Amino acid sequence: MGHTGEKQSAAESLRKTRTFGKVRCHNPSCMGRITPAPGAQRVRCPTCGMEYRLIWVNETLPRIRGPVWETNRKIAQQAWARRQAAAKEVK
Amino acid sequence: MALNRKIAYIDLSTNTVETRPIPLEIRKKFLGGRGLDAYLLYNHAPAGCDPLGPENVLIISAGILTATCASASARTHIMAKSPLTGLLGSTNMGGFFAPELAWAGFHHLVIKGKAAGPVYLFIHNGEIEIRDAAHLWGKTTTDTQWAIRSELDDEEVKSCVIGPAGENLVRFANVMTGIKNAGGRTGMGCVMGSKNLKAVAVRGTLDIRLAHPAQALDFNKKFIDQITSAKVNQIQGKLGTPFIWGATNCWGGLRTNNFQYNQLEDADDIEPERLDEIATETMGPHHMAACFGCQVHCRAQYKIPAGPYAGKYDEGPEYTSLGAFGAEAGCRSAVTVLTGNHLVDQYGMDNLETGSLIAWAMELFEKGILTARETDGLDLRFGNDEALLEMVHRICARQGWLGDTLADGGIPAAEKIGNNAFDYLIQVKGMNNLHSDERATPALALNVATSSRGSDHLRSRPAIDLYHLPEEVLRKIYGTPVPYDGPLSSDHTSYTGKPWMVFWQENCYMAVDCLGICKYHTVFLGATLPNFEDWPRVIELNTGLKLSPTDIWQIAERGNMLERLFNLREGLTRDDPKKGDTLNHRYFDEPCLRGAPDVIGLSIDRDRFNAMIDEFYEIKGLDKNGLPEPRTLERLGLAQEPSHQL
Amino acid sequence: MQPATMKVLKIDFEKCTGCRLCELVCAVHHDGVSNPARSRIRVVKWESEGLYIPMACQQCQDAPCMQGCPVGAITHNWEQNRVEVDYGLCIGCRTCVAVCPFGAMHFNTIDRKVIKCDLCNGDPQCVRFCEVKAVTFVDAGDESLARQRTAARRLHTAEGKAAALL
Repeated sequence: MGHTGEKQSAAESLRKTRTFGKVRCHNPSCMGRITPAPGAQRVRCPTCGMEYRLIWVNETLPRIRGPVWETNRKIAQQAWARRQAAAKEVK
Repeated sequence: MALNRKIAYIDLSTNTVETRPIPLEIRKKFLGGRGLDAYLLYNHAPAGCDPLGPENVLIISAGILTATCASASARTHIMAKSPLTGLLGSTNMGGFFAPELAWAGFHHLVIKGKAAGPVYLFIHNGEIEIRDAAHLWGKTTTDTQWAIRSELDDEEVKSCVIGPAGENLVRFANVMTGIKNAGGRTGMGCVMGSKNLKAVAVRGTLDIRLAHPAQALDFNKKFIDQITSAKVNQIQGKLGTPFIWGATNCWGGLRTNNFQYNQLEDADDIEPERLDEIATETMGPHHMAACFGCQVHCRAQYKIPAGPYAGKYDEGPEYTSLGAFGAEAGCRSAVTVLTGNHLVDQYGMDNLETGSLIAWAMELFEKGILTARETDGLDLRFGNDEALLEMVHRICARQGWLGDTLADGGIPAAEKIGNNAFDYLIQVKGMNNLHSDERATPALALNVATSSRGSDHLRSRPAIDLYHLPEEVLRKIYGTPVPYDGPLSSDHTSYTGKPWMVFWQENCYMAVDCLGICKYHTVFLGATLPNFEDWPRVIELNTGLKLSPTDIWQIAERGNMLERLFNLREGLTRDDPKKGDTLNHRYFDEPCLRGAPDVIGLSIDRDRFNAMIDEFYEIKGLDKNGLPEPRTLERLGLAQEPSHQL
Repeated sequence: MQPATMKVLKIDFEKCTGCRLCELVCAVHHDGVSNPARSRIRVVKWESEGLYIPMACQQCQDAPCMQGCPVGAITHNWEQNRVEVDYGLCIGCRTCVAVCPFGAMHFNTIDRKVIKCDLCNGDPQCVRFCEVKAVTFVDAGDESLARQRTAARRLHTAEGKAAALL
């Protein structure tokens, strides 16, 4: 066969880059990893302020269940207003 | 041997069957599954044929690894000229059909002609029988399967079937096997209906000899570990594909109210975790089911908890049903999603196309382009769950003016409706987009625009682009097995390097579809999952075929190019809004209004998009118009196609 | 002599996802081929209810197959805790297939012989590959413990509810 002992594939070598206990903020320019307190039900991104509801698939695997709507809606509305204002300025 | 599985040519007009072995040389060029299907279609479907005419060719296949000791080798591939798009028709499903086909002695069925009346095929250990199906006509997809088992007195028979939608020639009717495994896209069930072919039933007990069984067994254990240790597959194993919907809705990548918004706010009742709760309440804590040989088990079992279909058992829903019967129609009810999912499963109709067309009609209704006259009095406004489900019934039965109109697919419907209805139709090459909104993700926009079967996420989507992986990680993935030293960006809102990522994924997914394995077992949603470098060993241990990572890459590239040749032959041109590598104008003209702060205001930049197409064509070896350069066809060994070797 | 342990296949069908990998690996391990018709374990399904139940030999203490065999080809191997077929004696009459109350004795039409679970000589491949642990290899004496625990909890809950009614 001659395959045993060969170097790891790219995919296998990336296994060491896995992180545990963290989620990623969904805002493109943040995308930073946030470490919620173990078992926490909510987490807020320190960069953009978006707030998320969490579930824990297992003890080391938290997942963003969804946004905290009232918080994120407000942030979205502010972002839209900023975009509108910037567009006006350009005109 | 897996390699000794045969091709059967079945002519329903003349009731003749011929079987042939697959020469090793052809295997080495196209492997099996989708790649070999593309070869057979290009060689057997006459140019310009009527997709619903007897001359169209329906190909049903297993992959080269199907039913071997390779994890999750369960996928069935189906190909024909599409009655929805007039271009390549191609669809892929899990379940247990393909392995049974392989145990019955076959890898590819090439079905031609048209039966005089309803028939079904029964394939058993090398024998193929054409049987009367008059008594099955009109039955739902599951009733058909159970009736076939009862008639053949064999509970182990696996069938792929059409439901009433396929019989009624709904252009996006699908092919189903089991409760919910669907070859959903491009109307392959409609082609079956046009041939009066209600079902293909198989039962096999023939050995598939493995090249190195003991080692294949041990390697499979290691392979499974690579697959199940990925975080994404642990989430899939709990929540199924809806988890993708949930994540996408978080940041605003989800078509809402057709294409007016990019996020369904306050969608808590259809969040994946809520659906998981319903599955747990109705089916118990161990409600996840799996396709053949797969340890990811991403398919939920559920019973509809309330409403007119309360208590009905079904499986899924996949994330596409959350779009189709949720966000696209502006609906927020789990019962609606689960009911809609059940209806399309029973009727045999593509959930993506169905939901997307109804959402489009809802927007036309909102804009006054459709009125109560065309809807036969139905109040087709966004968020009207009852109207949404009523339209599912009507489309399947071609009932009422609008039901019949939508059953013909988006482009013919737009022509019939008139005004500027077409402007609101979110389609590529005549096939509607799934529930995702790609305005903030140029790579994904390029993927849907250039996918060989029309707007689609499973042909070339670099989904891991959304994870903002560090550049060195991206280079590791996208720089093997073929070196790439061009630019790459971790930012999913950027246009940099995305054409290469789409090209890489296009080849990755083609290879997967040739092998007959599932996309959750490769770089679709997880970076650490097997791909080109991991496959040679599993192929060799199981089939004895020695291939290098670059061999597999080239086979995949060849298959993709052959699909493009088919599309070009059938009328694809670069800028044709109905048959081209294009996007609806709204991708460029209407910004995202919801979601994460950085997503707000984004749309696709037309010039940069065109530059991406140019770059993508160049990488693929196409000219500016998207036609292959002669040297590309030479390089891929396609200059002589159609070569009619099979 | 009492063996140190007496391990048996424990099937927890509620956990079964219906993937049939156990069937595949059983055939590959024993015969080097993929073919569920050669598998000693089979997943019986009621797909319309979402019910999947793996079935394999129970290695009965007083095995009907053993009792029914006219040539005494089936015996109990106490060391391996299994019922096994001596193919040198077996005449292929399939009486064992007919009498097994679990349908766990199969006739393999390719090799024309009966087949049954041999626990893979102590390393059952179905157990090795079942990630959801629907099939496990446990000491026969412990097989009932989990079920007993669940039942005990249920009793306790019921007791609490009953007390609340008083």
